[in-house]
Amino acid sequence: MSGRRGGNRIRGPQSALTDFLAANNISAAQIRDDYERRRTQAEAQATGGAESSTQAPGASAAESPVGETEEQTEARTNKRKRREKDAIDKIKNDKASKKGPKKKQKKKHDSDDSDDEYDVAQDMYRKARPAPGQFEYCEVCSKRFTVTPYSKEGPDGGLLCTPCGKELAKDMKQEKKAAMKPAGRKRRKLESDRLDGIAAGGAKSLMQLCIEKIAAHHDDVEELGDIPPTVLERLSEIFSKKRVMKPRTLRLFLRGDLEDVVVHDAAYLEEEDYHQMFAVVPKMKRLVLGNACQMKDEVIDYMLERCKDLKHVHLYAANLVNDKMWLRLFRERGPKLEIIKLKWLDASFEDAVVQEMVQSCPNLDRVKFKLCRKLGEDAVAALGDLPKLQHLSLQIGREVPSTTLCELVSKRGSQLRTLSLEKFVDADDTVLQAIHDNCGYLNKLRFSENDTATDAGYTSLFTEWQNPPITFVDVNSTRDIDNNNPEGPEEAIGVASSGFRAMMAHSGPALKHLDISSCRHIELGAFMDVFNGGQSYPALEHINISFCNRVDTSVIAGIFKSCPALKKLVAFGCFDVQDVVVPRSIALIGVPRAQDAIEQFGVGIDVDEAIGRMVEVGA
Amino acid sequence: MASETEYVTLVSSDDYSFVVLRSSAIKSPAIKRMLDPAYGFAESKTNTCHFENINGLVLEKVCEYFYYYQKHKDSKDVADMDFPIELSLELVMAADYLDSTVPFEENSKRRQDMLI
Repeated sequence: MSGRRGGNRIRGPQSALTDFLAANNISAAQIRDDYERRRTQAEAQATGGAESSTQAPGASAAESPVGETEEQTEARTNKRKRREKDAIDKIKNDKASKKGPKKKQKKKHDSDDSDDEYDVAQDMYRKARPAPGQFEYCEVCSKRFTVTPYSKEGPDGGLLCTPCGKELAKDMKQEKKAAMKPAGRKRRKLESDRLDGIAAGGAKSLMQLCIEKIAAHHDDVEELGDIPPTVLERLSEIFSKKRVMKPRTLRLFLRGDLEDVVVHDAAYLEEEDYHQMFAVVPKMKRLVLGNACQMKDEVIDYMLERCKDLKHVHLYAANLVNDKMWLRLFRERGPKLEIIKLKWLDASFEDAVVQEMVQSCPNLDRVKFKLCRKLGEDAVAALGDLPKLQHLSLQIGREVPSTTLCELVSKRGSQLRTLSLEKFVDADDTVLQAIHDNCGYLNKLRFSENDTATDAGYTSLFTEWQNPPITFVDVNSTRDIDNNNPEGPEEAIGVASSGFRAMMAHSGPALKHLDISSCRHIELGAFMDVFNGGQSYPALEHINISFCNRVDTSVIAGIFKSCPALKKLVAFGCFDVQDVVVPRSIALIGVPRAQDAIEQFGVGIDVDEAIGRMVEVGA
Repeated sequence: MASETEYVTLVSSDDYSFVVLRSSAIKSPAIKRMLDPAYGFAESKTNTCHFENINGLVLEKVCEYFYYYQKHKDSKDVADMDFPIELSLELVMAADYLDSTVPFEENSKRRQDMLI
């Protein structure tokens, strides 16, 4: 309506102010009318006090509607007020969204609105934004530029030219990114750290903090300088874990004076990176490469040429190296090699190679073969002829008869310090007997995933054994697996009550690490006897009793009492464990029905108090 | 030794000194050893440790860490302490040095060995 009327009217020249007011739908006539109305109203109020009492107490005289005759004005005023309010709201909203979510939240907590009000007021008094098409000077670089609807506002409220605006937008984006870190993920990370054993309550160590920081900024690190090899190795582990061990970052870990190269995840490294590795670190004695899937024959060839001092070779998934090269490695470096650890070899590495290794490397004292698909009985038999062997870890996929294992143990057992036999499902009591008869220096024993050896076998192994107490015992998953008979046969298979008692009686004083997960046939009584609170296991730090389904809350309490040095207790699938109160500095992991977290960490309560509380809850 | 003070002074290579609580400073096994009268180091008499290999900026962060550690000793879900990325390498070195439980003579020998 007004548009048409305006279009018909002939107008003379208008000032910029009139134009502006018209554009914003403000009429001078209306302002004058309002003013007149307010004045008369004020006068009327001053004369007649009775009139004021009819008005609502909160409303100010100027704003309150008076009389039906002024209906039109009233409507208009309301409309304008609404618009005004909308405008203020809009400014407020804009302000809030510009500040980003973090600050907004903080505001809410502070309930500090006065600041906001102040900002709004500031906004109202600020110079109006120049219309698009006008010229303006950039607030940052002071260049003259044409204002567009997209021109950004600078930090002090002025406008910015396009290049500066882009810069600012970039900064803002980065800031937002940094500010937005989902809480859920952080919490999960924390749980994961705990399960990894990094965070054990309290603050992280300064070293850990620094290393994480460096790993997080791996792209910016130019050089690590001469940081000590131990730290370097730790850093390399973290880089691998975060999957940032790439050709670019590998350089940080290569230094001419080093003797170790440790890369636990070498999956990103290609042939030339390996070459560089051996070129830069010729004095290398220890080589650890995990996921070395791009390591080829040529690489080994170059390594043999460059690194003459190699003693320790630890390769994981180096499947492109074929048998010929393995043979060459052992033949050429044989007498110097002391440690060989190989895992996940599918394509090559046969029994004949192991036989060659035994022939040419008389100084080997530590051997580990795990998941090497082509190895079998002959390789195991050959290992018996390594004169200096002290540490032996085997996990062989093919069937190996007990007699072969017995022979190996009887030949080498007398000087073995570590014996780890994983997943020899058919190994029976004779192997245990051979260990009992021959081993006298064992420090670490693993005999896991077996369903043949009986409880009686384990009992006799640990009874009157000449071997001093062992510090590391892992007999996980030694149990009968017959779905039709979950209780197992009469004569228990795997570590059961009497085997467990004998084991703890023998190794209890020195035991540091105990894994009896899935040893299903250990009865509650045996647990109660072993962890009775009176008997103490001073060195025991890590225990895994997962899926020992007889364990109940009182056993957990007994463990807390009997193991003063305990750090970590893993108890997945122990369904009778409830309402545990975890003492200080112990991490209890995996107890079901834990409402708050999969892992419970004791805070500030010592063992006696924790047990006291448990008793209260139980009563 | 009568003068087991509540606070000890740590002096950086560029002569900035930081006065910190003894109870928090002995988080570092190295400092603990330096200040332990049983070993009879000069540091234990003056209650002042000089670090020729740690500069003021780094030592300040180290001291900050001591207090951060002490504050969060018994709490869980501790937020990581923040420090500038450019300090992290030097801090690693300092942390490694201060974390060492090896006696100093051996330690310095080890360092010399590494240099050679």
